[in-house]
Amino acid sequence: MSMMANNLGTSAIGARTDENTPEKISVRDLSFFYGETKALKNISLPLYERTVTAFIGPSGCGKSTLLRCLNRMYELYPKQHAEGEVLLDNVNILNPKQDLNLLRAKVGMVFQKPTPFPMTIYDNIAFGVKLYENLPRAEMNERVESSLRRAALWDEVKDKLNTSGLGLSGGQQQRLCIARTIAVRPEVILFDEPCSALDPISTSKIEELIDELKDHYTIAIVTHNMQQAARVSEFTAFMYLGELIEYDRTEKIFTTPSVKKTEEYVTGRFG
Amino acid sequence: MAELSVETSFTSAVVDRTRALKRFALTDAFFRSLTRICAISVLVILGAIMFSLVEGSWLALSTFKLDFVTTEVWNPVTIKFGALSPIYGTLITSFLSMLIAVPLGLGIAIFLTELCPPLLRRPFGIAIELLAGIPSIIYGIWGLFVFAPFLQSHVQPFLIDAFADIPVLSSLFAGPPYGIGILTASLILVIMILPFIVAITRDVFETVPTVLRESAYGLGCTTWEVTRNVVLPFTRVGVIGGCMLALGRALGETMAITFVIGNAHRISGSILAPGTTISATIANEFAEAVGDVYFSALISLGLILFFITFIVLAIARYMLLRLERQAGN
Repeated sequence: MSMMANNLGTSAIGARTDENTPEKISVRDLSFFYGETKALKNISLPLYERTVTAFIGPSGCGKSTLLRCLNRMYELYPKQHAEGEVLLDNVNILNPKQDLNLLRAKVGMVFQKPTPFPMTIYDNIAFGVKLYENLPRAEMNERVESSLRRAALWDEVKDKLNTSGLGLSGGQQQRLCIARTIAVRPEVILFDEPCSALDPISTSKIEELIDELKDHYTIAIVTHNMQQAARVSEFTAFMYLGELIEYDRTEKIFTTPSVKKTEEYVTGRFG
Repeated sequence: MAELSVETSFTSAVVDRTRALKRFALTDAFFRSLTRICAISVLVILGAIMFSLVEGSWLALSTFKLDFVTTEVWNPVTIKFGALSPIYGTLITSFLSMLIAVPLGLGIAIFLTELCPPLLRRPFGIAIELLAGIPSIIYGIWGLFVFAPFLQSHVQPFLIDAFADIPVLSSLFAGPPYGIGILTASLILVIMILPFIVAITRDVFETVPTVLRESAYGLGCTTWEVTRNVVLPFTRVGVIGGCMLALGRALGETMAITFVIGNAHRISGSILAPGTTISATIANEFAEAVGDVYFSALISLGLILFFITFIVLAIARYMLLRLERQAGN
C-alpha cells in the first residue's frame, strides 16, 4: 500500500485536469443485457477529454462490457442490447440511427490479444485509413510513418514494412495494433486489457505509450492490474457485479476510497 | 533390521520399474513399427497403381505414341485411338463447374458464417451437407430424366437465342439444344462439389479468431470489408485446399457424368454439345473393350487422368507458395 502511494506521489497524475475539462463521453443510466441477464446496472460516469480513465474490478464485473458499449461492439451479436444513454460530444451514440462504421472510426479499440491482420506491416496501418480516405501514395506513407512513430514502433520496423505483421513479437504486434488504431485518427481509444498477454518490458512500453497518447486522445482502459491502473490513469471507476461502486480521481481511489468494498479490492483483500 | 527391509523393498521397486519400462519399450517399438508399416503401405499402394497403369497402357502408348494425346479419333473398329476429346471434356467440365461452384460456395459460406441469423444456420448447414450424401448415381438419373429435359426445353433455347448475335459467345452456345452435353454435366458437377466447398470454407471461416474480426469491425469496417480483407486472407490456405478437394472430385467424377454428358468422342466449340470425359469413357467402354489395344487405350486414359490430377495438385501447391510469399511470410 505504501509502495503504491509512492508510485502515485512520483507521477503527476491529475495535474492537468480540473473542473473545466470537458466531458468527451458521458455515460448516463446505462444498463446492458446479455439476453435476459442484466450485466450492467444503471451506470453513470463521465470520461473527460484527453484524460485516461481506468475501469477496474474482479472478473465478470462488467468492465469490458462497459467498454464495448462505447463503440457498440456488442452489436455484432444478437441478443445483446443496451439501454440508457452514451453521449459522445453530446450526441447519443446508442441511437439506432447512429452510423456504426463512423462511430468506430471515432472510437478506436485495442484488444486483449494483439490482432494484426494477415497482411504486411504497412498494409496493416494503411488498411484502416483506406476505408475512409483516398490518400495519394506519398501522404499514405507519411501517415503510416507518423502512426508507427506515435506508437513507438517505427525504429523497429522501418526496414521491414513489407513483411508480414504476424512475424513481429507479441509486444510489437500490440503496438502495431495501436498504430493501426491511431492511423484512422480517432478521438477516443478504448484499451481492453491491452497488456494481459505481454511480458513486463512490453507492458511498460505500452504504458509509456498510453501516457503520451493522452495528450491527443481520450482514453479508457480496462485492466486487471491495479498498479497499472494507478500508473496510467487519472480517474478510476471501480465496478463490482455490474454496478459502479465508486468513481473518483485515481489517487483518491487508491489511497482514501470512500466505499469499503473499493478499499478491500484495491488492498487485495478480495477479487 | 528395519533399514535392511527398507533397502530390499527399495531395490525390488526398482526392479519392478525396470521390468515395466522394458515392457513399455517393447510395446513402444511395436507401435512405432506398426504405424511405420501403415505409412509405407500408402507408398506401396501408390507405386503398385502407378506400375499397373504404366504397364497396362504400354501397348497403346507405344502403338500411337504422341498421337494418342493429340488426335480425337476414337474408333474401336479400325483400332485407332486418340484421347484428346476425353481429356478436353474432363478439363472443360471441371473448369466450368469450378467457375460456377467456387463463387457460389464462397457466397454460401460467407452468408452462413457472417450474415445468417443463428436460427437458420443449422438448417442451412445440414441441407448443404445432405447434398454431399446423395450417391452420384442418383444425380445421374435425376440429371438424365429431370434436369436435362428441363435444360433442353427451357434454358438452352434461351441461351442459344440470347447469344446468337454476339461473336464469340454465339459459337460457345451454338447448336441444337440436346439437353445432355458438356454444360449439363458441368451443372450437375456444380451441385455435387458445392457441399465440399461450402463445408470446408465454412469450417475454416469459423477458425478466424473473434478478436481479429472485432478489431476489423473496430476500425469501422463493413461486413464486406471484414470478409474481403481479413477473413479471406486469413483462411486462404484452407479455402484453396477445399477448392482443390472439390476439383479433385470434379476431375474424377464418373457415374453422374456418364449419364448426362452424351458420351460422344468429339470436340465441339459449343458447350451445349455432347462430349465425354476420361472417367466416363472408361466406365462406359470397359465392359465391351475387346482386343488388347482397345483395353490398353482405356488404361492409358486412366494414366492420363492420374497425371492431370497430379499436375493440378502441383499447381495448387505452387499457388499457395506464391500467395504466402505475397503476404510477406
